[in-house]
Amino acid sequence: MSDTPQYDDDDRVLAAEYALALLSSDEAAAFEARLRSEPALRALYAGWVEDFAQLGDALEPVAPPARVEAAINETLFGAAPRRGFSMGWLWGGVAVAGLAALVYFAGVDRGPQVPDNPTYVAEMVGEDGSFVVTAAYDAARGALYLDHRAGEVPAGRVLELWLIEGENAPVSMGVLPEGRQAELIVAAPLAEKLRGATFAITDEPPGGAPGGVATGSVLAVGQVSDA
Amino acid sequence: MTDHTHIEGLLARLALRDRAAFAEIYRLTSAKLFAVCLRVLKDQGEAEEVLQESFVKIWRAADRYQSNGLSPMTWLITIARNSAIDRLRRRMSRPEQSVDVTRLVFADPAPGPEARAIAGSETGQIMSCFGELEPRRAEAVRLAYLDGETYEALAARFDVPLNTMRTWLRRSLLKLKECLSR
Repeated sequence: MSDTPQYDDDDRVLAAEYALALLSSDEAAAFEARLRSEPALRALYAGWVEDFAQLGDALEPVAPPARVEAAINETLFGAAPRRGFSMGWLWGGVAVAGLAALVYFAGVDRGPQVPDNPTYVAEMVGEDGSFVVTAAYDAARGALYLDHRAGEVPAGRVLELWLIEGENAPVSMGVLPEGRQAELIVAAPLAEKLRGATFAITDEPPGGAPGGVATGSVLAVGQVSDA
Repeated sequence: MTDHTHIEGLLARLALRDRAAFAEIYRLTSAKLFAVCLRVLKDQGEAEEVLQESFVKIWRAADRYQSNGLSPMTWLITIARNSAIDRLRRRMSRPEQSVDVTRLVFADPAPGPEARAIAGSETGQIMSCFGELEPRRAEAVRLAYLDGETYEALAARFDVPLNTMRTWLRRSLLKLKECLSR
């Protein structure tokens, strides 16, 4: 680590292009890998983002309709407090908070929640059985709980979940966040297609399949069935 | 509206799952973030969805905010801007990069507040530095940031070959950096 970073022009431009989101997925992934090991490059990137963000000063604020805040609160806090959470999995930060904080925050967003009464369930399994992800859909919350039970995520890739309905092209349900358990909020039009559909998991470049079309290998497939 | 220390304090409370702090951050910043989404997406419904998505990310990633080296308002704006660009690129089936700034979490210490102040220039300085660029080139950089335009879109808009656009941007960015670090 150097305290007196020396960048060349290529790095200056690259950091700006990354901040502007002008790079290809591969170039961006390579730059992110460098960011992890080069604090000086991070400072360069942060400098550009700070500078570009000032361009936003020219934008006149527009108050969003009240339904947006309502929808956010519904997504984050709408679920009834869940007692006896047994997964031992909490959002980072909460786990290190003191006991008082834990009592206080009981029932607030605790990360993915296993549905008590799922409407649909699915088990996605890879061809050789070494990659397993289970899913449970909670219709009341519109939330799909995912549990990555076995198998590794290929290095530098992310997992993306696809909904396949009959002969139709796969529709992306989203990129799975890091961690073994995850929760995706399913938009109503997609939720209607869950019954009898097939789920598939592919590995994709960071950020998900370019253009919403799966490009990686299919790691696991499973049928959605009534719970 | 967006006092740096105040927002920073609210983000720290957010990391402790403080819902009142979350409501306050929403009250203070949602109109700015919504403007950012609207500018990129130019569609009310999509902008609302992306704003919602952005605040869900903000709540969930607040405990990781400290490790990314960005000032609080920049972090919030960048989450909204990059989420909107992701949506735009998906809509247009563009294969360009996707940056979820909440994923940028680093193990070793990020630049502290002083380093951040150095990393970013003085408020308003970028505007005067833009003034030093040839107007069309300044506009290209602005369109890339505020509207999320790709190299291809910019080349088409300014009716120049793709490589010419890359050269424009490259020279403009270096000139900007030079001006900003004066």
